[in-house]
Amino acid sequence: MIELRGVRHRYQARVVLDLEHFSVPRGALISVVGHNGAGKSTLLRLLALLEPPTEGQVLLDGKVVPKRPAAALRRRVTLVEQRPILFRGTVHDNLCFGLEARGMGSAAKGIVADVAEQLGLTTLLGRRRHELSDGEVQRVAVARALAVRPDVLLLDEPASSADRAAAGALYRALVRERAERPIAVCVASHQLEDAYRWADDIRALAEGRLSPVTPENLFRVELAPGEGVKQARVGDIDIAVMTDRSGPVVVAVPPTDIFVSREPLASSARNVFKGRVTAMAIERRGAGVHVRADVGGVELVAAITAEAARDLALAPGSPVVFSFKATAVQVF
Amino acid sequence: MDFLAEGFRRAWDLLVGGDAEVYGIALLTLRVAVVATTISCVLGLPLGYFLATRRFWGRRAALTMVNTALAFPTVVVGLLLYGLLSRRGLLGDLGWLYTWQAIVVGDVLLALPIAAALSAAAIQGVDPRIRRTAETLGAGSWLTAWTVTREARFALAAVITAAFGQVVAEIGTAMIVGGNIRGSTRTLTTAVALYTSQGDFGLALALGLILLVLALLVNVALQVLQGRGSD
Repeated sequence: MIELRGVRHRYQARVVLDLEHFSVPRGALISVVGHNGAGKSTLLRLLALLEPPTEGQVLLDGKVVPKRPAAALRRRVTLVEQRPILFRGTVHDNLCFGLEARGMGSAAKGIVADVAEQLGLTTLLGRRRHELSDGEVQRVAVARALAVRPDVLLLDEPASSADRAAAGALYRALVRERAERPIAVCVASHQLEDAYRWADDIRALAEGRLSPVTPENLFRVELAPGEGVKQARVGDIDIAVMTDRSGPVVVAVPPTDIFVSREPLASSARNVFKGRVTAMAIERRGAGVHVRADVGGVELVAAITAEAARDLALAPGSPVVFSFKATAVQVF
Repeated sequence: MDFLAEGFRRAWDLLVGGDAEVYGIALLTLRVAVVATTISCVLGLPLGYFLATRRFWGRRAALTMVNTALAFPTVVVGLLLYGLLSRRGLLGDLGWLYTWQAIVVGDVLLALPIAAALSAAAIQGVDPRIRRTAETLGAGSWLTAWTVTREARFALAAVITAAFGQVVAEIGTAMIVGGNIRGSTRTLTTAVALYTSQGDFGLALALGLILLVLALLVNVALQVLQGRGSD
């Protein structure tokens, strides 16, 4: 549906996004997770066609989007910003805005009533922006975006000001919308719980690049100058990293590169940490198991096969050893 | 103090008695001010929006020029305009020298930078999320501009007030290109200057009071509009 190809986006001289390929397929809900400043909001702004990438292309349905897209093209994509803002007027006026921009004012009544009900806004329709809480503003913004029935819906931290119930209502509204039509949804979020629960796929961003690593295994660290193996302090443990990089960096430990055992193994791995299993989850596709363990105050996630998990008889609370090589640790 | 008290008494008599000359001057001033403010704002507000929202080569230079124009001495503008409108000037064929139209042109030249520079600042003060949100909800450029402008309505009302204030209080160009001709191009400010120099403080005060009332009425009207337009 919508994709980025060979995108390098700069603000002044700094590269803030560097993606070989990123796509949100039709009918999919993709969650993008990452630290503050990882590039999530920039990614969404490019996908929203609000600004063209410095280098590379944005494609919608396989066609390259021009640097100045026509209004008809822009109308296929809608973004709800992290701290959304409402226009002057009532909640009802806000929900009608996009429809009126499309000359669909006559159809607004039914659509507005529908989205307002989905997101629990029916009693708020007559209120003005200063009469709403942050969470209500966020729900109105999502409803306003849903009302225009975009082909691609982009949400930047849509539940950051919402309580759990409101966040649930929001995601259920997305599920209903997706059941009705094959809308492509991309959600940038800090809340991994929501990402795991609702997303079809999770992509982790670190320093503007896509990471193959689950977001739990990403750490911001300070590396000393020099070459070779260095120690990166994370929580109470030191992770051995093989890199020439120094200063503030993000290190990533791919879950598939972590050996899981009951006892320390005799191996070349420079990183061997004892801990306890805190949680286990079957992967969405069902092929493997994610083993989450607390190793010295740091949570690491390892991906192993279901058979291996069975053989090791792992369960929450089990003692476990995680081992991985210094060269397996990626540095961004 | 006596002459001031006498001046106020005279002013009161002229105003209450409906003196034709006083009201003629007031009406001309109002006409010039309304026409010049309207033209300045019709041109200046969109120019301000353009400067505030578009990124183009030379934008910074354009903003500097507009901001510099805020400080143009009115007599210098009057002088340049005189050169243009005089018989041998580029616009001499218009025959506007010593007409109220010439005063309007001078006032527009002075108020246009105010309207453009202050409205650019007002639009730049609008939360950039408003524009992005309007665009991402499918608004075209006109609806986006209208939406952003509505958010800046209080600041833009102040811009209109400032432009009107500049025009209604202006004396330099009015004197030079208007000529202060009785019954034709005599405005409140040029008349006050003339009658004060002639020692007719009562008439000067009466005209000064009208000038103040005019400014007050415009401000009150804008404040009422602002009140109605609040969230």
